[in-house]
Amino acid sequence: MFETCVEIRRHFSDYLDDRCERESLRSIRFHLDYCASCREELEQMQAIQAELHALPRRRVPPELALSMRVHISHRVHHNLLRQLWVRCENALQPLLIPASGGVLTAIIFFGLLMGWQVAPASNIPDVPLQIVTPPRVRELAPINFNDGDQAVVVLTQIDAAGRVVGYRVLSGPVTPELTRSLDRTIYFSLFDPATMFGRPTDGQVVLCLRRITVRG
Amino acid sequence: MGVALEQALPAASHEATLIAELRAGSEEAFAYLLAVYQNPVFNLVAHIVEQGSDAADVLQEVFVKVFRSIRHFHGESTLKTWIYRIAIHEASNHRRSWLRRRLREALSLDEDAAVSEMALAKSPQQPETPYQALEQAERQELVRRALASLAQPYRTVVVLREIEGLAYEEIAQVLGVSEGTVKSRLLRGRELLKRKLGSCMRR
Repeated sequence: MFETCVEIRRHFSDYLDDRCERESLRSIRFHLDYCASCREELEQMQAIQAELHALPRRRVPPELALSMRVHISHRVHHNLLRQLWVRCENALQPLLIPASGGVLTAIIFFGLLMGWQVAPASNIPDVPLQIVTPPRVRELAPINFNDGDQAVVVLTQIDAAGRVVGYRVLSGPVTPELTRSLDRTIYFSLFDPATMFGRPTDGQVVLCLRRITVRG
Repeated sequence: MGVALEQALPAASHEATLIAELRAGSEEAFAYLLAVYQNPVFNLVAHIVEQGSDAADVLQEVFVKVFRSIRHFHGESTLKTWIYRIAIHEASNHRRSWLRRRLREALSLDEDAAVSEMALAKSPQQPETPYQALEQAERQELVRRALASLAQPYRTVVVLREIEGLAYEEIAQVLGVSEGTVKSRLLRGRELLKRKLGSCMRR
């Protein structure tokens, strides 16, 4: 197929890389059988190829590999926030285990301490903490008036000590007999005073009085 | 992931996972990428830049660029081809600026020393005697100089084919040229090398 040495030598590169077609390969081999000059030429190229393959490969020195990782890491974390985050992480990570241990120990000790020093339960009833509470009837004296089904409504004024200061009939028949009965009922009744922010104070309470008779 | 897998290039299925992790900004994935590719890329760059000591700077730039551009990588080529393309682009840019500087400045006398100080992996074929070791070292130095004296297009193709072992298709992808161009550059590069080294190889 190939006739001259110049022509055949153009295919040596392909021959070295095993990229020749079958026909070309046969021609080259046939030519090499009788042409010593081309054979020597090919041997030289093969020797150079072998030398190139045998060239020692440069390796990245360990210090360069490390500095490169650091350099690239700096470039990657160029963002100020991420830089700050990485610095915080680096600063806090060594403290993480001691700090966690400290907090856990503190919680355990606090729990134990609280278990031993329980506050004693009090028998004193709690003072109502509402802002204002009205006076309340603690004990009502017997009602001696009989006015049928009609109720008597009375506005009673109670001082801070729980004593009745006075009263006024708001509805119902005002007769001397009823007034006497009301005097006995109201002045002999016991009241809890009104409170403001938990402290006793003067107040008024409206009482609706009616005698209920049970026939048995 | 780590040093144990340093030489193992990721398989196609793993490559997709690796790319996804890189896109997510995983530093572990990037550490793995570095472990796999830093030595081949360093070797490639060292053959392209004029001063061997500059290879470290170029290598850093290459991987910073890889990390930043990974989001724009859509898998048109393999990860290896893509990284090599970036490496060659960076190394060529660096070489051009170095040549411009060299025109203005005097050449440093320590240049060769810097190259020889670069860490070299042990050759697979160990010489048996000190004489053979010396002969091999001299021969390798001659080959390295001859390779360095080639014009950059030829040198790049020869390095990618003979030293990095890339296929013609991969070289074409890395350089963004046709396979025909790769073939002709390789032929020309080999011929030039033979012309420079022919007498030495004959001895």
